[in-house]
Amino acid sequence: MSASLERSALADWWRRSMPLSLRYRLIIFLIAAVSVAALIQGLIAYRNALHETDEIFDYHMRQMAFSMQGRFGSGTVSVPLGGDKQPFDFLVQAWALDGSPLLESPLGGLLPQRAVLGFSNVDSYGRQYRVFSLQTSYQVIQVAQDMAVRRRMAGELAWRTVLPIALMLPLLGVVVWWVVSHSLEPVSRVREQIANRAADDLAPLVAADMPSELGPLVAEFNALLHRVAGAFEAQQHFVADAAHELRSPLTALKLQLQGLQRATDAQEQAQAAARLAKGIDRASHLVDQLLALARQEGRSLAVLGAHDVALDALCRDAVVAVADAAGAKGIDLGLGRCDAAQVRGQSESLAMLIRNLLDNAIKYTPAGGHVDLSLRSEGSRTVVLCVEDSGPGIASAERERVFDRFYRSPETTALAGAQGSGLGLAIVRAIADSHGATITLDRSPTLGGLWVRIVFPVQA
Amino acid sequence: MRLLLVEDDLMIGEQLLDLLRAEHYAVDWVRDGEQADGALAAQQYDLVILDLGLPKRDGMSVLRGLRAQKKTVPVLISTARDAVEQRIAGLDAGADDYVLKPFDLDELLARIRALLRRASGRAEPVYEHKGVSVNPATREVSVQGQSVSLSAREWAVLEPLLARPGLVLSRQQLEEKLYSWKDEISSNAVEVYIHGLRKKLGPELIQNVRGVGYRVPKE
Repeated sequence: MSASLERSALADWWRRSMPLSLRYRLIIFLIAAVSVAALIQGLIAYRNALHETDEIFDYHMRQMAFSMQGRFGSGTVSVPLGGDKQPFDFLVQAWALDGSPLLESPLGGLLPQRAVLGFSNVDSYGRQYRVFSLQTSYQVIQVAQDMAVRRRMAGELAWRTVLPIALMLPLLGVVVWWVVSHSLEPVSRVREQIANRAADDLAPLVAADMPSELGPLVAEFNALLHRVAGAFEAQQHFVADAAHELRSPLTALKLQLQGLQRATDAQEQAQAAARLAKGIDRASHLVDQLLALARQEGRSLAVLGAHDVALDALCRDAVVAVADAAGAKGIDLGLGRCDAAQVRGQSESLAMLIRNLLDNAIKYTPAGGHVDLSLRSEGSRTVVLCVEDSGPGIASAERERVFDRFYRSPETTALAGAQGSGLGLAIVRAIADSHGATITLDRSPTLGGLWVRIVFPVQA
Repeated sequence: MRLLLVEDDLMIGEQLLDLLRAEHYAVDWVRDGEQADGALAAQQYDLVILDLGLPKRDGMSVLRGLRAQKKTVPVLISTARDAVEQRIAGLDAGADDYVLKPFDLDELLARIRALLRRASGRAEPVYEHKGVSVNPATREVSVQGQSVSLSAREWAVLEPLLARPGLVLSRQQLEEKLYSWKDEISSNAVEVYIHGLRKKLGPELIQNVRGVGYRVPKE
């Protein structure tokens, strides 16, 4: 728990402290990595160089000592091995076996008079010396070297290794900058494409020459654009259709109003007023249906909000609601078998579906006909809602088209006393679709008219 | 004047039928393209008011069929299709005028009068002959400066005669312009109205060509 907390805190810090630009991020990381690599390389070079100079100079010191094996004369000889201004790396001293000095470098006094035979490191006056002592038959020879010299040489060697990299670093930065900028160029190209387009331009982005990291993103974006364009187009069609469809009732209203204005006697006036009232009813019904369809079409239940709905109760309510209209036309409207059935969905939408089906059946069934509604559970997985009538039915060739919005069958339009909005079945289809239900139209085997079957799935 | 109204919308058709009849036009109303074809084949119309979005046969194809048969009857398209291309297509297919729904009734009537006048070869709206002046738009008729009022039926008989001065119309032709399908025709109705018109407008305006029919002399 705390580990993950720490990790998330770390990730947080990381996110906050990192620049958002991929370009800066890449450049900072690459330059830092190159610098660290150069540093490590320098250190290794320094160590190796130190080791090698040790070996080389040790060898030299030994050779120098061996070369002085011959016997020196007695007495001290001061060898001017360079002056102060030109300090020499090596110090040489020699003692006779009795301890008397035989040979002394100018700074020889710095070295202890002690002789550990072979190699040894000696600290003297704050400096570290490498000393090689050799005892021959006549004398003891000491050759010494200031270790700082070795370190300086190793340092120079290491520096020479690192220097080219250090010098190249700005160039490397420029190259990295260029490569990164160049690699990210498709990103800015896509950005420009999106930035430069008009609000209603939903054409896909140009996906050619996209790197494999960006290609899928652009493809997904294009797929989204495609879906949005589809929805946009459907919406535009809908609005265009709706505007077009509104012209007919408006034309009728205008003519009916002019009819009323021109009416000369009370009887004509009454008739014109009645027509105008019908025209207004028709226009408002169309607007209601348009709104209902706009609310239903393309919406998922997730958006509308789903509950458990008792379909049987809705069926009873719908039959009661349209009983008057059926009675006025002398139609025998009945609720047949009505199983208790629950489906997952939206209560108002489902009520509207049943209502629209019954309205249609009553509208297109001639006076004195029959309309039956039934609801049955079939197995545990499906509920079937049926509306049957004794009307003219729908020719099989037309059964798909009747669901198109604003489609009116030429046959049935002539039969119905008033015109429908052409939206009733489109709304039914939209509601059925959003509830995952399937609709089939057929000829009713018992009543001879239209037989609408809607099969609802029941979630276990 | 006899008009054919082709309109599938029940309410529009019903109301327009009444309003046009009130203007003393003899109007036949059909509700789809096939019926329109049938009516146009069976009857001589002075003008067709044609909706485009029709069941069974589109208005445009009715119009093309009509023009393919070399029929010159004026066609007034009344439609909700408002795109410029559609208006152009309609006029190019042989329509004489185009009104957009929802239209104003007075405008529609004025366009009908204009088309009828043009079809009769006249540009000036007022007919004048020997002191008789007739304005079809206002239905104002005057004889020697005295205003005369005509009944609806009398007007309906006079208008087609005035439409083509000099042309003789038989009694049957006049009857056709007077009555639509629904009306009952009495055998001597035309003679009765002609008689009334002569009494009001003087004997010279409507001339009887014995055995052929009636005509109005050229201006």
